[in-house]
Amino acid sequence: MITPGSKYFFGLTGLSLIAAILYMVLVNPSDLGAVALFGLASCGAVIGAMALFTRDGDVYTDEEAVAANAVAGPPSFWPIVFALGGAIVLTGLATVSAVFILGVAVLIGGGIEWAIHNWADGASSDHEFNKFARARAISALEYPGLAAVGLGIIAFLFSRVFLALSKDAGTIFFMVAAAAIFVVGILIASKGFMKGAVTVVVAVLAAIALVGVGTFAALSGERHELAVAAEEDHYDASHRECGEEKSKHYDHHANNTVSLRSAVTATIFVKDGKVYAEAIGMTKKVDTITIPRSNATSVMFRNLDEEDHRLVVNLGSVKVAETGVVEKVGTCTQLTGKNQEQVMTLTIPKPATEGEPFSFTVPGATGEIKLVVP
Amino acid sequence: MSHSVSPHTSEKAMDIVNNVKASSHRIRNSIATIFGLVALTGCATNAPQDTWQPRGENAQIINNLQWIVFPMAGVVGVLVFAFAAYTFWKFTDRGQPIPSQSHGKPIVEIILTIIPALILTVVGVFTFRGIFELAETKDTEMIINVTGQQWWWEYDYPAQEDQGITQPIISSGQLVIPVGTKILLRETSRDVIHSYWIPALNGKKDAVPGRINLLRLQADKPGIFAGQCTEFCGLSHANMRMEAVALSKEDFAKWVANQQKAYTPPADGTLAKEGEGVFLNQCIRCHQVNGLKKADGTPAIAAPDENVYSGAAPNLSHLMSRNTFAGAIFDLLNKKCRSDVWNASPETIGEKYLAGVSETCLNANDLRAWLRNAPAMKPMYADPTKLVKSGGKYRGMPNLGLTETDIDKLVAYLLTLK
Repeated sequence: MITPGSKYFFGLTGLSLIAAILYMVLVNPSDLGAVALFGLASCGAVIGAMALFTRDGDVYTDEEAVAANAVAGPPSFWPIVFALGGAIVLTGLATVSAVFILGVAVLIGGGIEWAIHNWADGASSDHEFNKFARARAISALEYPGLAAVGLGIIAFLFSRVFLALSKDAGTIFFMVAAAAIFVVGILIASKGFMKGAVTVVVAVLAAIALVGVGTFAALSGERHELAVAAEEDHYDASHRECGEEKSKHYDHHANNTVSLRSAVTATIFVKDGKVYAEAIGMTKKVDTITIPRSNATSVMFRNLDEEDHRLVVNLGSVKVAETGVVEKVGTCTQLTGKNQEQVMTLTIPKPATEGEPFSFTVPGATGEIKLVVP
Repeated sequence: MSHSVSPHTSEKAMDIVNNVKASSHRIRNSIATIFGLVALTGCATNAPQDTWQPRGENAQIINNLQWIVFPMAGVVGVLVFAFAAYTFWKFTDRGQPIPSQSHGKPIVEIILTIIPALILTVVGVFTFRGIFELAETKDTEMIINVTGQQWWWEYDYPAQEDQGITQPIISSGQLVIPVGTKILLRETSRDVIHSYWIPALNGKKDAVPGRINLLRLQADKPGIFAGQCTEFCGLSHANMRMEAVALSKEDFAKWVANQQKAYTPPADGTLAKEGEGVFLNQCIRCHQVNGLKKADGTPAIAAPDENVYSGAAPNLSHLMSRNTFAGAIFDLLNKKCRSDVWNASPETIGEKYLAGVSETCLNANDLRAWLRNAPAMKPMYADPTKLVKSGGKYRGMPNLGLTETDIDKLVAYLLTLK
């Protein structure tokens, strides 16, 4: 007899095979998707065969199984969750993709819980044992899943608070919150000060506070400067003014810190009003930087001067076909403060022409670094 | 109830047993022969990618480490296998009683902890010393940028006055270096991860898109050293080779001078001049020849970024000063001339290599076949249906549908690029 458990997997195998064939015919016969669907079918077949071989791991006789299934289990709310997931999916289809993804997650979560609940209900006629069987089957998924959702919510709420507060206030908030969590953690660990009920109350109060503050922050929106930056599109290339002066938009929130140090091909410095460069692996200063054609290559700019400076790359000029106007080609970093740094990533598809060699310059400083694209 | 076995049945059974015995003998002998042959390959001396034949300081560091680690690992491996084999043989279930079981013998456990710890300590000391020595870059004398892409290596030499390189040099397939010079390769990639490995000169180092990884090379004597991309990088990974050519400092200076020589167009009215025209019509879409000008006198600039997925194709300036093409998988020299260069003594190899490729030495068969239908020579996703993911851009050289006359002209032109 084909066992109920194996039926699910054989069903999955059949559906996957049909999907794989349809995918191959309708989409692409040699695509990775077909391989994945065939893989799913194979897995389903193997697990189905194993379930059949082990009789679903069922130690009961057929009569006992019938008796176990004859007793009605406790009511379950998972079908409602599953249906809710379906509704959210439909809503997502009509609105935004985030809602659709949420719906799929609810649908999958609810479906798994419902299936396990149903399976556990039929495990025996003993409700306590069924509860135990359900917990054993699903807890390994439930706890990490709930923890991930919980952490996600906490991270989201904290991020809203940070975006709403100013930079300084955000730092202070983080320090206070981290210190409070640390102190409460110590108190809970030492147990002498906080016992069961108190811990629960503190945790609930903290959760309420976080949800309240986070919601309030989310409703108030991002802090003024971020809102303005987003509204005026501060970082858009069209706002770039690559001269000595400060750009109204582009230089509004320069990051000035760099984390990808090892990936740069060279570092260009400005110190005492003079420009010089060092290339990775070269012991002496260089006056030429070579960048491979058509390959994204990063150069770091480090300002060791008292004044703010920016790095400008000059990539010749081009005649605009429509107007016939010759325009300079190039780009620049944002204004960089003293002892600060920024990275410029360049992809240059063609070498310079003889008349217009490429170069790096720093407005307000003397000297230039030649840029060669072989 | 009695059983009787006919003599006929008994003979048949014996035949089967004898056949099985003979087959098992044959299988055993075959396995022993195969293992023997594999072991014998270790004795080969003409093995260009043998890690046990270092030809430079860095490869020597690795070799010294191998001579410490391999014997130790070998002894441990033999002991473990022997002990395991003895255990399998001795305790195979033949119906005998289960041997006495014991748990927790402190002396045995302490010994089995201390011995591996000591072995690892010895290996660790030498390994860490080797790692730090190989990572040394402060005394670098020359820099070469190495860029990997599907499926060839590009070398560009930034201007370095003290090495006589006054303007950048760009090449591919063969890395040319001066002997006794600490060379630092700055590796990166244009598409996927590749790995640069010339066993005679150093270990391997990945070329990763968006990163610059450093690899030090130094050759003790003039010679040509073979290598192979060692990170699976797609369809023609096995065809992504490289060669390092070490020349004496004097010969290297000559090579540099030749690479920096200005472009000389072929004489008017020659087949090569017609080939230049074909090149400008077809090849310039991807391949740059520095100094080449269009009919209107403006510089002919290749646009591989518009046609090739990696955004680059080999720069063919001074092509015939190299000995290989198509990712070093094919020789530009015919067999005789190639053998002449490869087997030359360290004293004469420079002169022979610098002679480049002459018309008599040209491996015209492979070059013509390549120009006729490159994807037939080296798999390169030539099928247009496979180009969807790369936005219609080729991974490698497509079939250009050149006529035989065009090929004649192109070969004549390419021969002028010395």
